[in-house]
Amino acid sequence: MKLSMRTVAGALDLPVSTLDRWIRQGRIPIQRSGADAVFTHAALKKWAATHNLSFSLSGEKADDQAPEALDSLVSAMKRGKVYRRVFGADATAALRSAVDCIDFLAEDIRNELLEKLIERERLASTGIGKGIAIPHPRDPLSRPPEAPVITTCFLEPPVGFNAIDDRPVFVFFVLISPTLQHHLHLLSRLSFCIRDREFVAFLGRHPDALDLYSHVAGFEKQLDAL
Amino acid sequence: MIRLLKKLKYPGRWSLFRSDDRLLLIVFAVIVGICSGLAALLLNRSLETMLAWLHHYRVYWWAIFLPAAGAALSSLFLEKIVNEGAGHGVPEVIYAVSRYGGLLRLRSGFSRLISSCLTIGSGGSAGPEAPVVMSGAAIGSNIAQAFSLNDRQRVALVGCGAAGAIAAIFNAPISGMVFAIEVILGEWSTMNIIPIAIAAVAGTEVSRLLKGNQIAFAHRIFDIHFHDILACVGLAVFCALASVLLTRALRAMHHLSKGVALPLWVRAAIGGSMVGAIGYLLPYVLGEGYHAIHKAIEGGFSGGLMLVTAIALLKILATSLTLGWGGSGGIFAPCLVIGAFVGLSFHRFMAAVWSSVIWVNEGCFALLGMAGLISGIMQAPLTGIFLVIEISGGYEVIVPLIVVSTISTTLCHYLEPASFYLKDLVEQGQLLRPGTDARVLTDLSIQELLETDCICVHPDMRLADFLDIVKTSHRNHFPVEDRKTRNFLGMIHLDDIRPYLFDPAMHNAVLTGQLMNRHVKSVSLHDDLSDVLKKMNDDHIFSMPVVSDNRFLGMISKATLLDQYRKELMVQTGRF
Repeated sequence: MKLSMRTVAGALDLPVSTLDRWIRQGRIPIQRSGADAVFTHAALKKWAATHNLSFSLSGEKADDQAPEALDSLVSAMKRGKVYRRVFGADATAALRSAVDCIDFLAEDIRNELLEKLIERERLASTGIGKGIAIPHPRDPLSRPPEAPVITTCFLEPPVGFNAIDDRPVFVFFVLISPTLQHHLHLLSRLSFCIRDREFVAFLGRHPDALDLYSHVAGFEKQLDAL
Repeated sequence: MIRLLKKLKYPGRWSLFRSDDRLLLIVFAVIVGICSGLAALLLNRSLETMLAWLHHYRVYWWAIFLPAAGAALSSLFLEKIVNEGAGHGVPEVIYAVSRYGGLLRLRSGFSRLISSCLTIGSGGSAGPEAPVVMSGAAIGSNIAQAFSLNDRQRVALVGCGAAGAIAAIFNAPISGMVFAIEVILGEWSTMNIIPIAIAAVAGTEVSRLLKGNQIAFAHRIFDIHFHDILACVGLAVFCALASVLLTRALRAMHHLSKGVALPLWVRAAIGGSMVGAIGYLLPYVLGEGYHAIHKAIEGGFSGGLMLVTAIALLKILATSLTLGWGGSGGIFAPCLVIGAFVGLSFHRFMAAVWSSVIWVNEGCFALLGMAGLISGIMQAPLTGIFLVIEISGGYEVIVPLIVVSTISTTLCHYLEPASFYLKDLVEQGQLLRPGTDARVLTDLSIQELLETDCICVHPDMRLADFLDIVKTSHRNHFPVEDRKTRNFLGMIHLDDIRPYLFDPAMHNAVLTGQLMNRHVKSVSLHDDLSDVLKKMNDDHIFSMPVVSDNRFLGMISKATLLDQYRKELMVQTGRF
């Protein structure tokens, strides 16, 4: 396999000018073809190994370190579904009812999730005010879902949740993410939606799933346009 | 035809050498070894002819001006005709190897041969070895350039040239090899050792074919006892002192001559006439002095302790007058002469003080003194040991030889940390042996370390707009440049403006021009990397902007430098 200067420089994570100098100084194995230097993949790999240098072509690198595609809010919400008339006499009971709704998780994982949600609430309430809470575990679950999930639960009646503004919470967005990066990404998008007063009023009307998705999709469009 | 020439120019493309360039280097090593061997013999023959021709005139009083004429002609030739500096040329070869991948001019292949022939042949006190080394090295370098070889291969061929020359002139292949590796290249790697060994063999064979297989300083067999070996410690001390004296005398004379406001050739003539005057009284100090060494080693040198000591001291004076004042030649042969006479003096002194002890023949001490001087002045013990073994053809002196060479080298290193050849280069910071900090920093350039992922901002931008740029950047530094002229105005570092970033009242009230640091220290693209690092260390900063012609080109940071430095070091010190 013959490689170009730019490819080899990229594979060794060097500027082309350094590679050019190494060729002139005879520090890197090449074969000459006309005035050009020709690199062979096998020879370079062997040379890099003997010199303790990392050598990976862009293709190999892409396989190893492909940046994770971050999901949209709507997809996560669709995966988690929307539940209405979820009942809980107090905060813990409401959380238990919400976790029971997440039926795609195995029984033991649901128990783990509940424990972690309660533990998180003990640290500080996830009730962010205006009747909205975003319960989430502090650390990822032992067997997290492959893609992030947001389960929306409209509580009836609203429950006291030690929210920041002391108002009872009427909606939970239970956020379960496989990684911290997903978690922060979705949390930031959700916060953007919640900053809008009309959206909060819309949530107060306990909309159905399709209506909610279309509203959120509208916000995401705005975000993507920024 | 053109195609054939093109093919010849790039031997690396021949199928024979394509898989591994070791074979290519071996073939070229043979060629370079033969050529440098021939150059060495040419100088040797020319010197013999010239000395024989001028020998008849030495009896006349005006013969004292012969070395002056030779040194003046040599200086004129170097200065006016070939435009090269005086001296012996070895530091130039070492400098070319460490700084320019062994690039030497074609004219260096013959210039020192002619100039040193004029200086030494007329009676100047210098040696032909260093000029031959320069010549051989230049031959190797130019053959490598003609065939478009890379720097590493060219350096190996420069070493081959030096090895072939020393091997041919002394009929001593191991000395040639060791000298090239220990002194010229300063790097023991199999990639270099193999071609250099082959070139040394080629040079020796050329010498043997054309001159016969002669041992330069044949001697009788020595019967060495333990007390002789003990005495070697004392001899090593005297050798080291003589080495340091010669080094300092040469440099002092050089500085003294520099201070004289006369043309170089006149200064060379002054030095030469002083040498001529000394030589008129003591002819042993003239020329390369091999005749005197023969006598010393044979053990039949007449004259007492005072005379041999005077010869050693006057040879030091004559050599420093010849070379320090502008003559051309090396210090190899003078070192051998001085060493031999230091050995003789020491032996006679010991014999006088402990007259009841049966000492080994004084020729043995002359040999040991030669090794002591060579090892001391070059700080190359192996070269001293192998040279004396080979030129004397005797292995029985190996134990005292090692003692004298190692002690002399150590003492000299203590008194003069850099050897005679390297002293100037070390003082100028130009000794760049592979794998050293200086070499890595010299090889790397700022261009190669430039980080170009900074986003430039303009001074009329509001803080709110600047924040949008901050969101998209992963750097903490933002260069500010003029919107129209694109001239670099200053830098914004997030650490400096962090308190204002989170104050919404400031977002529309402050412009980036008000936030930037206008007095930021910058470096230019062609600055020396060691100076840049010093600036960073002095100011405790981790990155600096690179600005050329008032344009921001990028940033240079310690993090990138460390990454590249490590790669460079691994490539320089790893095996190919």
